Parts: sequence; C-alpha cells; structure tokens
Amino acid sequence: MPGKDIDRLKRQLLREVVQDNVDLAEGRLPRGLKRPPNVWLRVLMLVLLSLGLFGSARLIPSLGSPAVSPTGAPAQSASVPVATVAKVPIPPPVPTTAPTPVDAAVFPLAVRKIALDPGHGGDSLGTQAPLGLVEKELTLDIAQRVRKLLEADSFEVVMTREQDSSVSLEERGLAANRDGADIFVSIHLNWIENLKARGVETYYLGATDDPYLTRLAAAENRESGYSMADMRGLLDRIYADVRQEKSRTLAEVVQASLFRSLGKVNPGIENRGVKAAPFIVLLATEMPAILAEVSCLSNEDEAALLTKPLYRQYIAEALAAGIRSYADAVEGKPEGIDEKAGDKKGT
Amino acid sequence: MADKNNEVLHVGIDLGTSRSSISSSSGERHVIESYVGWPLDMVARKVLKKSVLVGSEALQNRSMLDLHRPLEQGLIKEGSDKDEAAVRELLWHLLSLVGVDRENRNGRKVRAVVGVPAEALRVNKQQVRKALQGAVDSLMIVSEPFAVAYGMEALLHTLIIDSGAGTTDLCVMNGRLPTEEDQRTLPQAGDWVDEQLLRLVRARYPDASVSIHMVRQWKEEGSFVGNSKTPVVVTAPVAGKPTQLDITNEMRQACEGILPPVVESMLDLLSRAQPDYQEKIRNNVVVSGGTGLIRGLGPRLEQELQQVGGGKVRVVKDPIYVGSDGGLAIAMDAPESDWERLTK
Repeated sequence: MPGKDIDRLKRQLLREVVQDNVDLAEGRLPRGLKRPPNVWLRVLMLVLLSLGLFGSARLIPSLGSPAVSPTGAPAQSASVPVATVAKVPIPPPVPTTAPTPVDAAVFPLAVRKIALDPGHGGDSLGTQAPLGLVEKELTLDIAQRVRKLLEADSFEVVMTREQDSSVSLEERGLAANRDGADIFVSIHLNWIENLKARGVETYYLGATDDPYLTRLAAAENRESGYSMADMRGLLDRIYADVRQEKSRTLAEVVQASLFRSLGKVNPGIENRGVKAAPFIVLLATEMPAILAEVSCLSNEDEAALLTKPLYRQYIAEALAAGIRSYADAVEGKPEGIDEKAGDKKGT
Repeated sequence: MADKNNEVLHVGIDLGTSRSSISSSSGERHVIESYVGWPLDMVARKVLKKSVLVGSEALQNRSMLDLHRPLEQGLIKEGSDKDEAAVRELLWHLLSLVGVDRENRNGRKVRAVVGVPAEALRVNKQQVRKALQGAVDSLMIVSEPFAVAYGMEALLHTLIIDSGAGTTDLCVMNGRLPTEEDQRTLPQAGDWVDEQLLRLVRARYPDASVSIHMVRQWKEEGSFVGNSKTPVVVTAPVAGKPTQLDITNEMRQACEGILPPVVESMLDLLSRAQPDYQEKIRNNVVVSGGTGLIRGLGPRLEQELQQVGGGKVRVVKDPIYVGSDGGLAIAMDAPESDWERLTK
C-alpha cells in the first residue's frame, strides 16, 4: 500500500478510535458497536415483562442466555483482544529498599507501658510435664505476678491475654502495638530434648542457623501459618533498625536478671544465653521485644520447682527486675543496666 | 523516538493477561508480570515495607500476599473490588516506570493509549478510564489487536491472530475499526495449553511433583507443534528426587490442542471476507502474542491454508512490545485536536 494511502487510512482509523473514546467518556454507545438483533428483542421483552404481560419465571432464564448473532455464532463485543507474551526475559524485580540502621540516640523515650505476653492459651497448650503442668497455665500465672510487681512500680501494664484464651501470635503483637506499649515481653517455658538440660534463655528477633533454634522457633510459630523458609526470607530484609539493638539489650538485661535470681533457689540452673531467633510473635511488634524461656518443663527438677508458687514468684521478680533495669537505662538513670540487674528487688 | 512536544509524554500500554508492557515517547519500554498483591497481614506489610507489590516482585513474595492476576481469559474480572484495584495498580506501576507519578507532579502532559483485552466490556473500559484519572491528561482505549495492527501498519486485508495467555483472538482488518463480525475470541491460549500440559504430564508421571508454574516454564522453553528435532526433557522431583522426564509427546499434544479451534475460526473469518479480498487476506496472516511463538505454528497454519488456496503466515518475532509500541504509535499519530477532545 502506498505511503499516502496508508497515512490516509491511519487518519481515518484514528478519527474512528477517537470518536469511539469520546462516546465512551460521554456514556454513549460506540458507533462501531452493532447491537445484535436480539438485544432489541430483550428490551421489548423487558418492557412487556414490566407490564406484566409475561410470567417472569418463564422469561428471566432466557434473558440470561448468550446473545446470538445473525450468523448463529455467539455475539461478541466490539472490542478486541490483548497480546500477551511468553519467552520474555522478565526484568529483575525492583529491589525493596533495604532497611537502614537508625541511631538509637534519636529515640530517648522513657519506658512507661509494658506489654506482657503469657505464651500459648486456649487450644494452644504449649509444653506439658508429667506432673500435670501445662505451659499455658504457668505462663499466665507468672505474667500476672509480673504485672502486679510492675504496677506497684508505677508502670502501666497491658496483657495480651488475661485468661485461658486463644490469641494468635500476630494478634498478640498487634494488641501491644495498639496499646502503645514501650516494650514487649513474651513469657514461655522451654522443652529440651536432652531431659537433663535446664536453665533460662532469652530471645530477640533475628535470623539463626542453629538447628535447635530453628526447630524451637518452628514449634512456637506453628500457629502463624508462616514456614521457616518464609521467615528466613523475611528476616533477611527486616529489623536492621534500632529495635533490634534495643531488643538485644533488653534480652541481655532480663536474661542476666533471671539467671542471677533463680540461681539462688535453683543451683543447677544453666545460663543458656541470649540468642536471636525468628519468632513470629516478636516480628509483629513495633517496639523492643523479647521472648523469655524462663525454665525448662522438660527437666524433672525444674518442673518440680514450677509447681511451687514461690518459684514462680521468683521468676516474676526476676523478669520485673530486668524490665526495671532496662527502663532505668533508657532514661539514663545511673542505677540502670548493670551486672546486678537481677538483685534489685530482694530476689 | 523523538517527541513532538518536549512537554508531552506519549505512552502506549498493553494490558495483558499474563504480562503488561509500556512504551513511551521518551524511548523507555518496560514489561511486567500482570500480578498485583497486597500484604496478607500486618506482619507481611511490615516485612515487605510496601502496601502493594506489582509484577515479578508480587509473584516472588506470593506466600505473603493476597495475590491477584486481575485479567483472566482476556477479561478484566468483575465483581471484585480487589481486581479493579489490581488493574489500577498495574496501570499506575507501568506509568511509574516511565517517570509518571500518581499526581503527575513533573508537569508534563501525559497522553496514553491503553490496549485492553478481548471482550473487555464498556464497564471494563470505564474502569481503566477511572483508574488513570489524575495520572494522565488524555486517554484513549483501543482493542489490542487494533494496536498491534496499527503498529505493524497491517491495517488493510490482514488477519491478525493474537494468541496470548488468556485468549486467542482473530481479527480481520478491513481498513476500519473491527466490529464483532470481524473477530473471534477463543479460550484456547497459553493458560489453556498450560492446563492441558499439566494434566497430561501428571497422567504419564503420577509420582512426579509438578506445578502449573513449572509447566508454564517448560512450555515457554519447549513448546512446539508438528515434529520436534529434539526431545523435550525436563526435570521434576519424583519422591523428592530430581528426575528427568521426557514430555515430548505431552508437549506436542497440549500445544496442538489449540489448532482445531484456531484453524476453524481462521477459515471461517476468511470465508466471510469479501471475495475480492480473500486471497490478499490469506497471504497476510499475522500471528502475534506469546503463544504465537509456539515452534512450528506458522508453517502449520500455512499448511491448513492450503485447503482454501494457500497463504502466508508471518509470526511476530518479538511480541513483548508489539502491543504497547502500537499503542504508542497511535498516541503519537493522533492529532492535537483529537487529543484535546479526549482531555479530561
């Protein structure tokens, strides 16, 4: 086709396209769109229907039947198809912005409100010991004790659960966020395959290559619906912010307090240390957050100790002392974080 | 590509079932997967640090997302606010790739031509129009094969067979905007081939773990009709162990499944064209779209044309941007006065 002819054809087609679009914008039917004859039939039938000349039960199904063109082929709209592609090299994804570490000094905020998270609850029993001890009951008992201690020290305390109820891991963090908590402390009891092992350990959120920690986190995260592979992916890209540093500090203080305090009544206790692990319940929070495994239910001696309210009170005192020390440190008080964090309240 | 006016940015957008592309008068071209996802929950939102993800990024993070492929079987899905929002996000994302933000703050006039799927209803077109409010100054919505035909200057006596993921659309260009009598839409397209291939492979290798994403990849690498010089051998886990599977016959069977309806529609459209032009049209068949890249498809269609006197089939070799380039050509050719009529 000669160049002039093709240009003329293009201009003509463009005029039609533009008119079609003007009609669309103004709510008119496109001029190129031919109504199939039975559309008018449908309109007529609708009018008759509205006048009550036909029974609706007989007519309505026919209104839903496919339109048929004069040729007998299914009627189609005036618009046409899309070209999609295969064998196409997909450009690399736009990288998400990597989180940038933030200087903690820009957040010199006081710790006033503490979120306490008694692990498990409701259908989630947690670990169980032969003595009839169930983790969900022990964690609630300990949390309630911590609450009393902190409230006595003028802290405001919010609890993720106050009774034996099921609360999702995500909702626990969300509740703390909604309440505007300054720190989040999740209380759990451990179960270690080596039944002789005992002691306390405290976690903050982070990735780990340790198979034991991976299994532990997988067990704790079971309710969340996230796989460990998901978590690894998540953690590679999150949490390089000030909260991780503060969470680790909080974990260190609480761990030191637990070990020192409980060592007085539980001589065989092991300091299992502060560790990073991918717990969903911590990921959901927007404040420094830790998960404390305050004893081992798998160890016969510690399970026996946990049956005693006094031992549970020791645990509560140690947790509260650690939290207070952390709060003092944040506010710059000289009696803040130190080696004696666990000795402050008569533990 | 030089712009007529430095203050005006013209763009052509191909809104596809599987992938969507944009071509701009600044010379930029981008293609994305037509997926949009929203973080499933607060945790996912926090991790992903985005309120919405688009394209391959959405696909890669699908476990954390409410993932939508808003165009299916060539249609913009209806009845779901999320799918409407997904179309909006796709369009916004494509525009952002060529430097147009949601408020169009850089001050340029943006004139867009968007190619929409077959069977796209008026309500769908209105959705596209609504979605782009604020981002573009003027908008034209066209049928995708028309954009392809315009870009290739195949506007007269041409049969376009555009086979994408959702539909295969056949459209005779007679020097006018195509009407319903000029076109056919078939559900046998890329997604359909994937489903057939998955079914056939599972039937032959019941112990193999095979997903739709895997067969889609295999199809993109080894699809063919007719005879294959080399066997199609793929790797899939069988009882957890990576195992090589010969799927040559299954691939052939799945791909050849689209031939009967395509050939029947092609011959039907040809027979309905004016007798004077039928030969010209037979010798000007253009196959576009990703599924059109099935090896051997062009020669096989030529073989089928023998029953009506023979013809020539041309396969678009680079289908990625053929639709958006066509849209861009329309955008740049439209006179200023026409664009003014379409300015909001």
